[in-house]
Amino acid sequence: MRKLLLTCPARLPLQFRVLYRQFLLRVVDLEALSIEADIPRFLGQFAGILIFISLVQAIGALWTPPPPGFAWHMEQSAVSHMMLVVGLIVVLTWDSTFPDRRDAMVLGPLPIKPRTILLARIGASSALLALTIVCLNFASSVAWSLVFAAARGTGVFLRFLASYWLTMIAASAFLYGTVLTVQGLTAFLLPRRLFLRLSAILQLAAFGLFLSVYFLAPFIESKSDLIAIQNQPILAASPVPWFFALFNECNGSLPANATWLAHRAWIGLVCAAIGAAGSLLICYLRTMRKTVEEPDLIPAGRGLRWTLQLGGSLHSAVLLFIVRALNRSRQHRVILAFFYAIVCACALGLLHHAPKFGSTMPVSPDFVVLTIWMMVFAVLGFRAIFPLPISLTANWVLRITQLRSPQAYIGAVRRSLILLAVVPVLMAATLFSLSYRPFSQTGAHLAVLTLLGFILTEISLIGFYKIPFTCSYLPGKSNIQFVFWGCFVGIMLVMLFILNIEIPALQSTLESGLLLLLFTAAAAALYTLNCRRAHSAILYFEEPPPEVLTTLGLLSALPPTSIAKKP
Amino acid sequence: MHPTLELDRVSKHYSGIPAVDDVSFAARPGEVTGYLGPNGSGKSTTIKMITGLIERTYGEIRFDGQPIETDLIAFKRRMGYVPEEPHLYNHLSAVEYLVMVAQLRNLPLRETSERIDGLLRLLTLYDDRHASISGYSKGMRQKVLIAAALMHNPDLVLLDEPFSGLDVGSALVLRSLIQELAHRGKVVLFSSHELDTVERVCSHVVILHRGKVVADDSIAHLRSMMELPTLEEIFSQLAVEQDTASIARQFADLIHA
Repeated sequence: MRKLLLTCPARLPLQFRVLYRQFLLRVVDLEALSIEADIPRFLGQFAGILIFISLVQAIGALWTPPPPGFAWHMEQSAVSHMMLVVGLIVVLTWDSTFPDRRDAMVLGPLPIKPRTILLARIGASSALLALTIVCLNFASSVAWSLVFAAARGTGVFLRFLASYWLTMIAASAFLYGTVLTVQGLTAFLLPRRLFLRLSAILQLAAFGLFLSVYFLAPFIESKSDLIAIQNQPILAASPVPWFFALFNECNGSLPANATWLAHRAWIGLVCAAIGAAGSLLICYLRTMRKTVEEPDLIPAGRGLRWTLQLGGSLHSAVLLFIVRALNRSRQHRVILAFFYAIVCACALGLLHHAPKFGSTMPVSPDFVVLTIWMMVFAVLGFRAIFPLPISLTANWVLRITQLRSPQAYIGAVRRSLILLAVVPVLMAATLFSLSYRPFSQTGAHLAVLTLLGFILTEISLIGFYKIPFTCSYLPGKSNIQFVFWGCFVGIMLVMLFILNIEIPALQSTLESGLLLLLFTAAAAALYTLNCRRAHSAILYFEEPPPEVLTTLGLLSALPPTSIAKKP
Repeated sequence: MHPTLELDRVSKHYSGIPAVDDVSFAARPGEVTGYLGPNGSGKSTTIKMITGLIERTYGEIRFDGQPIETDLIAFKRRMGYVPEEPHLYNHLSAVEYLVMVAQLRNLPLRETSERIDGLLRLLTLYDDRHASISGYSKGMRQKVLIAAALMHNPDLVLLDEPFSGLDVGSALVLRSLIQELAHRGKVVLFSSHELDTVERVCSHVVILHRGKVVADDSIAHLRSMMELPTLEEIFSQLAVEQDTASIARQFADLIHA
């Protein structure tokens, strides 16, 4: 087997192997990475998070086995999580199946058949997808199968396990194929320039759609829910129930009058596969030529001389730089969209819970919780994208024109963060708060929210001596697994704070006052700390190399007398 | 009093290997100083040390009699720099880029706005001023760099291969502009491989070879001293070690041409 594994890749054509390797390393956008970026390590860390999630699920299931009725819940959750993760992967690798201009210019003159490029591209994207599916399910699939099917015999266990994997692979392939079909069709039908513009919008729309489906998809509590006439339109419209039904069909537990849902999954899968293969193939043969033929200079309409003045030219320059980078860099937009999708989901939740127009209701925990989540994720989103660089080689101009102290630059970043992240959330929260009474409570909460925004801003600026988007960034060194779990713990702490401290405190003026005093003190302390540290800070444009200090421990190995005798 | 740029025994070592070795020369106002040398001789490294982009290993750089690090910010205010490679923020348009540089330099907005429009017109970029720089040709990017380097009226102009990618007309304009700037009392340090242009524009040249200065004189004096008619021949004598015709023959042989 090992020999087969080793010899199989060697039998593939050399061109395919070379291209596959290149594309696999570029499946994550290289523009985000500096030249020394350790992409395999970055992918390894990503896989580590998925494996960890799978292990946590597996250990949880084996530690406290849920009742058999929980199987439906697990199956739906597994399908919906899988589709969300694959959706995120598809969004993050949006352009990886189509050749860009660089590919066209580099590979175009070489004697390589388009089909080799096509297969290498698909191979690279599929490899990432396969890695995701395996890492996310390898432990949980076995654990769930053991919990729900092992007691009924080995045959049932194996059938459950096979159904699990088939469903996960089918759901992932459906999503991937559907996105490729849409991309392929738009690339085929539209002029290249228009396709590029629309593609960016489609990418964000797909992202929003995946998140909406994840949060809003109907949950099937029982078999009666599955076969109820009134539920059929909504079940027919969402792919999650289709693949849930497919799971149960393979498993042998699907009611006969719900097989149409499983059939939908099969039909969807076949359509996605045919659509993706067909449209991609036709487009691929044209895309390369269209990319090369595209004019170098795209005529621009009347531009806007937007010289916003915001407390000084440096503040304006930094703010405009951030806004323009976000407006025009797809990669930054997509990552920010991930956080803002959560912010929007919270806002939708607020709208959902809001009283009818003209009427009011008492301040509810929903209002407090959701507005605080909005603030946390808005600031977190900007903080997450600020270190991601754009056109690193152009940084020299910022160093040449660095005519002010680093303090001034850090102040400009602070102001930008407040204006872009904190102020919009505050405005939205203020609008929502108009529906709630009494004003003393909503006012106190808005004040807490404002101070929380300032505190989060100051926390974001600790050690951040950079202009956003201008410093090299090594994802391999970012330790995303620690950041991920750090954020998770932080969010849990915020949740505990809201439930145990803020909501009870809002009931009393004295306690609200004390809370505000505490927050003001925290914000002031963090501001002072950042200002003091900024005073001696140096702006950096390249990630500082890790300090390498190896202690040999020779002194500790010597007897104390010999150390003492040393002159 | 017009300022002078002086380099005094400036060196830059990478892992102990000298890229620039004990370089000393002075660039005076009113003249264009040509800074020449083969690839890898340390020209761009020297210019980056003057701008402060690279720290020197030792030596001193003075402008207007003061070491530049005495007040680096004041020095940067008086300096304009066109780098060797046209690296720009591609997601911005030319006008957005120039406005950003103006804001970073704290220039008055109304005056700068008019100046930017004027520069873009003169450099024939006005019609494409709102297009993204990512679509610009190399020559257009070079023009944006030139505008950004000069719009604040610097006293010291550092030009590293400024003709790269420019069409004939723009190159002629730039050549005259360099002379005009020198005529108006600016200190101009101009690095280029185009010896013909250097010979026409510069009155004084510094030739670098393997990181060391091998000539620092006026072109006329070098010609008479070395009894060679052109700068190209002077340069070949001082800084080119290879037999160029022989290398060309070997190259053709190697590819079986």
